[in-house]
Order: sequence, then structure tokens, then C-alpha cells
Amino acid sequence: MSRIWRSRELLVFLLLIVLLLAVGLINPNFWRTRSLMHILNSSLILILVSIGEMFVILTRGIDVSVGAILGLSAVILGVALNAGVALPLAVLLALIVSVLAGMVNAVGVTFLRVPPIIMTLGTLGVYRGLMLIITGGSWIETIPTNIKFFANWHVLGVRFFIWVTLVIVILTTFLLRRFKKARYLYAVGDNEEGARLMDIPVKKTLFAAYTLAGLFAGIAAIIFVAQIGFVPMQAGNGQELRAIAADVLGGVNLAGGVGTPLSALVGAIFLTAVDSALVFLKVPGYWNNAVGGAILLAAVYLDYRVRMAVAAQQRQARAAVRKENNHLNPSTSEEQT
Amino acid sequence: MAKPVTPPPGRSSQSPNETPLVELKNIWKVFAGVPVLKGINLNLMPGEIHALLGGNGSGKSTTMKILSGLYVPERGEIFLGGEQKVFHSPNEAHKNGIYMVPQEPHIFPHLSVEENLLLGLDMDPRAARAQVKQLAKEIGFESSFSEEAGALSIANQQLLEIIRGLLRKAQILILDEPTSALTFREVENLFKRMRTLSQRGIGIFFISHRLNEVMTISHRISVLREGRIVLAEPTTEVNSEKLVRAMLPADAEMRDMKRKMRDSHDQITDEVVLAVKKLSSDAFQDVSFEVRAGEVVGLAGLVGAGRTEVAEAVVGLDPNARGDVIIKGKDTKKHDSRKSQSLGLVYVPEDRHAHGIFLELPSLYTMTATILDRLGRFLLSRKQEEAVGNDYRQQLSIKMSSLHQIAKTLSGGNQQKVVLAKALASKPDVIILDEPTRGVDASARQDVYHLIEQLAGQGVGILLISSELEEIVDLSDRILVMYQGRIIKETERTGASLQQVMAAAFGLQGEASL
Repeated sequence: MSRIWRSRELLVFLLLIVLLLAVGLINPNFWRTRSLMHILNSSLILILVSIGEMFVILTRGIDVSVGAILGLSAVILGVALNAGVALPLAVLLALIVSVLAGMVNAVGVTFLRVPPIIMTLGTLGVYRGLMLIITGGSWIETIPTNIKFFANWHVLGVRFFIWVTLVIVILTTFLLRRFKKARYLYAVGDNEEGARLMDIPVKKTLFAAYTLAGLFAGIAAIIFVAQIGFVPMQAGNGQELRAIAADVLGGVNLAGGVGTPLSALVGAIFLTAVDSALVFLKVPGYWNNAVGGAILLAAVYLDYRVRMAVAAQQRQARAAVRKENNHLNPSTSEEQT
Repeated sequence: MAKPVTPPPGRSSQSPNETPLVELKNIWKVFAGVPVLKGINLNLMPGEIHALLGGNGSGKSTTMKILSGLYVPERGEIFLGGEQKVFHSPNEAHKNGIYMVPQEPHIFPHLSVEENLLLGLDMDPRAARAQVKQLAKEIGFESSFSEEAGALSIANQQLLEIIRGLLRKAQILILDEPTSALTFREVENLFKRMRTLSQRGIGIFFISHRLNEVMTISHRISVLREGRIVLAEPTTEVNSEKLVRAMLPADAEMRDMKRKMRDSHDQITDEVVLAVKKLSSDAFQDVSFEVRAGEVVGLAGLVGAGRTEVAEAVVGLDPNARGDVIIKGKDTKKHDSRKSQSLGLVYVPEDRHAHGIFLELPSLYTMTATILDRLGRFLLSRKQEEAVGNDYRQQLSIKMSSLHQIAKTLSGGNQQKVVLAKALASKPDVIILDEPTRGVDASARQDVYHLIEQLAGQGVGILLISSELEEIVDLSDRILVMYQGRIIKETERTGASLQQVMAAAFGLQGEASL
């Protein structure tokens, strides 16, 4: 059986098609290119944050500060633009801040050996606090239109940011497959002790994962500012949990070692599609979180059952080996006092 | 009847003037003030298969961990091809051509076989791939390279590890009990490959508990006991009897004499408090035995023989177990550990940190954990609880500043006593003690022995599991020996000698000459 057919990405992708078809049957408007493109466009931020989060989960860690990093970078970008900083420079500044924020997590986890959940829970508070300190708590509005232009810029009939995200997904997929050191992310999450014995630089690998999570939150922040056009203090709020949900849904294993950017992509689009579907089904908006959560639970539970079944299978195989052992091994079969 | 011994194949090129691949000289290692290696001298010639034998805790694993860079010795030298070296990490050992294949192969289960092999390798991937193919062919590794490594059998995972070592140009391979999870046929295949490697001049340290395997495959055998090499001879010069004798403690015969002079516990009654009939599960088959009131039954065997698994199945912790467990005449179909306890059977597990004690809580909480329903009607009566605690604190002479001292701040011996107090608090009729003296200092050890005698005197039936054969032989009225998931020997105290029990634990049976 090839790996592709077993993959969770494909399963979720098929589920997504089923969802789209079902909703389309009830409300044909849903099936219009426009609404589909709308779903894609509104999932871009989550896709990017989820890919960043995936790097960390691959190493068997967790980063709950990515939403806050998104918010902080968005604030930096907004403040810089309002202060008259040129767009490219402001974008660069926002990215640098996001990378630094990720590095702080990385230092805490790798060198100070703080457990990931505690470290990033701490920085979640710190980064959210910084947002308020920088802005004094007020929203950043009146953002120059030059950045908002990109959100509506269509290239070959498709929005610019969709292209950007697509390129990023393809690029990370390619690099994760072919770049030698990317393999370390999987190895460290799959078997950290084994990785150490194989001379793999475990600390550097972990450091890179948290830094990348920051960078991807920063990229998401730029799209956020461009799409929304202002920066509320809630920017990025709860994105970390949605990103983790999207990853898990798409097949990233919280126990480490398994997952691809496609997992993040499919999971993020699925969660966003559910939100849109509810709108088209005229379900009130406050159902969104509950439905999304229920879908996640169902997916994780199914996944758990499948893994249990596999484990049971392996145990039985091992027992069979032992039995064979006892039949064939002369050291046990011939003796009887 | 002695086991037929196949003569081992001679090494192709053996001359006395050869430089050894590696030579360990006077290696000392101390853990927590206790020396575990006391001057080990050991060497390995090119193309030699050198078997290391010894009971649990004899120091063979520690020695190999030093050689592979996992531990640094306190004293002693390692010479590699005549040059002195110290390894501070497995990485350094790899660079010097030493590769250890651990008992549980360190694979990355979700990566493909090829990814597993190439990972961390400082080589051009194309050249590496070609070399992998070459090595796989030579060694007869037949799985597909794109398969997930987690799906490989243990035997193939080991081969994967061996290829990994060869890719790193290993001249010295350490195989730590590689055969324990293999089928008979897989063992034969492994041996074939070991011979191939040996012909290529690669030296192999081979750790195994199976004497017949050691006799079949090795050129030379070294036996360790209590951190010393007590026997080192070419395989052709030894037989299993000699090996078993070497593994015995020096005062074995005196102990046997002393024991025979002492009477059996006279309080043993005919009442069977625990009967196990044809119990089988994944890790053991067809286990039957009885424990009577006031009797100490020792369950001996090596680590991995299936003793703990039997104990867990008897108390009802193994949902896959089939067979009958009868506690005081009551058949316990589908029982769990709670029900076992209410019937009067308690289990004191081997790993007390994981299963026996609340480390972060006051010691008293552990002691009374199973009898809370008896302490006060609705609310917990502190007075009653402390009364129980003080009772056992005195009875077991537990050294603690107060009953509320946090358990993890107690010494190992006192922690073990706290766990025993918990077991005794429910007033059991049968108690299973799994390695009760592991990690316990000498004086607490005597207290535990004394307690066992005392409990037996009160008519409690005891199943004592221990890897320390002396302990088993000294304390038990009857001894069961397990080997690879079966009870292969049962003997009364008076008829038992340490040597027989040791031989049985290593899978040798019915040798009249012993």
C-alpha cells in the first residue's frame, strides 16, 4: 500500500470535498467559484500559522504563542507604517520581530530546558502584553492603503496572497523532502534519544523549529494587516489553538515525527470551510467554534482508534513470534524435569 | 544430560602477535558511591566474536556502555589499535569505529528504511545510497527501502542498525542481547551474518543470556560477576557447567550448606491461598503454581524471562491473560487489581517510582492509599490514618522525620518500606513482592528480609520475585525458575542449590553433573 493512500492529508481532503458537495447541494450558491475562492482567501493566515506550528509539533513540542507573535508582528507593522516607514522596510521589521520572538521561545526550550508548553504559555502573555504596551491599548487604524492594495491585487485572476501562500507551501514541502537537515525535524520528534545517538544536532534542530514557527506567524501577520486594514488588539487571538487543530486534523501527530505542510494546508482549509459552510447553511455564527471543536474531536478520536488497532496488531505479531520461538527453539522444547 | 555443544568455527586468521582492535585495561566505574566495575580487563581481536556472560547487574552492559561512549570510566584506559582513547559521547565512539546495537534498536519508526540509514551520515547521498545497497546485499537485508522502519520486524531493525554501524566504518560491533526477541530461524540468520562480518575482520562483542547460543557462535567467552571478569577462555575450552559455576557467588556452597541445615518454615499449612492454573499471555505460556499460607515461593529467572508479566496477570493487570487464578478458593475470572485486593492478594511492583508510591505527596498518603474507605465514616479521620501510619512506621522501622515527609525525600530503602506498608495495610493473605530489594541499601535489605520471614510466620503466603538468586534461594521454601516465558524448574528449598537454580535461569536443564 503506498503511503499516499494511507495519508491523513488525502482523507481530510476527501472529507473537504464531501463537505463542499453536501453544502453545495443545500445551497447552490456555495459552489460558485467566488465563494470557494473566498474560503481559500480567508484561510491563508491560518495555513501559514499552521505550517509554522507544524515545525514545532514535528519535534514533539508545542507552541501556543504563535497567535501572540502574529499579533505582535501586526502591531509592529502597523506602527511602522503609520510612522511613515517605507513598506518593504516595515515588512522586514515585522518579520525580524517575529523571528526574534520565535528565538526567545527557542532559547527557553533548548537552552534553559523549559517545557515547551510552559515556555510558550509564558511568552504568549509577554507578547500580548507588549502589544498593549506599544499601542497603549488602542487599535491601530488609518493604515496606509499601499499595503491594503496587495490584498486585492489579482494576478492571473487569482489574489496575489493566494499565490504567495501557494509558493510557500510548495517550497516548504520541497525543502522538507529534499533538504538534508529538514529530515532532522522528523528524526528528533520520532525518536529523540535515537537522534542523539545518530549524531544529529538535536538542540539546533529544536531551535530552528521554534524560530520557524515565529517566522511563519510573522508572514501571516503581514497578510493579516493587508486583508483587515487595521490592527485590533485581539489580532491573532486563539490562532494558536486553531493552528494546532488544523495540524492535527490534517494528520500532524502530536507525538512528533509525522506531518507535512500539506497536512497544515488541508486542515486549515477544512476548518475555514466549516465556518463558511455554516454561514451558507444559515447557522448562526456563534456555532462556529463548537462545530469546529466537535470535528476536531471526531478526527482525533478516529485517529486514536486507528493507532490502537495498529498497536494491537503489532502486539499480536510479536506474540506469534514468541510462540514460534517456543516451538522451534530447542532450548525450551526438550526439557522437563 | 548435558546439552550437545557445537564446536565454534575457528577464526580464519588467529595469531598470538596480532594487535587487538580494542583493549580495556583496569576499568573502574562507580555509581552513587557503589563500584559496579572493579578493574575490568578485556580485549577484542580482529574478526573475533567475543561473548560476554553474566547475571543481571554483573557489569557487562556497563562495560559496553563505556566502550560505546555512553559512560566515562572513573579509572582505567581504553586502547584502540594500540592508541589510548577516552570517549565522551557515542558520537566519538562512532568516529573511532565502535558501534553498539542496543537491545531495542534505535530506529525512527515513521521514517523510511532508507531515511533511517542515511540520517546523520556525513556523506554524499548518492555515494551513501550506493554503499547502502552494497551492504544490504552482502548482509542479506531484504526489506524494501521505502517501507516505514516501524513496520520492520525486530530482526530487520537489528540488521538496519548493523548496516548503520557498517556505514560508519565500524570495526567493532557491540550486539546487546540481540537474540532475545528473535525467532529461532531469525537467530540462525543473525549468526550467519555475524560469521560473514567476522570473516571481514570485524570484531563483535556479543551479549547473551543463552548459553547454547554463546557456545555456538563465539570464539571466546568472558564471564563477569560483581564487576569483575571471573573467567575468560576460548569457547573450545569451556562447557556450560563451567560457565554457570563461574557466574555463581564465591560463597555459594557455604550458603547451600547453611540453608540445608535450617528447617523449613514450620508454619506452612496446607491451605492454598493462591493457585494459578495454565496462565498464558503474550509474554509467557502455561504457567501453573500454588502458594500456601505461610509459605514463601521464590520466582527466579533473568530479566525478561516473564516474571513481572506473570505477576501482573495474576493480579489482573493483563487483559490478554488466559487461564485461572484462584485466590483463597475463589476463581477470579475477569478480575482487576482492585478485586484481587479485596480477595486478599496484593502486588508490590518492581518499579516503585512508576507504580507504587506517590513521590510528591506525604509518605502517609501512600501508606493508607488502599484503605481510605476504612478510615472514618464519611470524612477521612486524620487520627485513624496517623494511627495506621505510626503502626507501620514502627513495625517496619521506617526512618522519616514525620509521617508527612514527602516520599521522594526518603531514601530508597525507606521508600520501599512505605510501599510495603501500603501493601500490608490492607491485611493481605497473599502478597507478591517484585524485586523488593532493588535499589535498597544493605541494612534496609535486612529489614525487608526480616519482614518477609515475619509475614510468613503470620501465615501470609508470599510470592517473591527477584533477580538475585541468593535472595531467592535463602528466603524461599519453594523455588520456581522461569526461562523465556515458562516455568522450567520447581524445587523445594532443601533440594535447591544456587548452581542448579542459576543453570535453570540460563536455560540449562536436568544436568545431573551439576
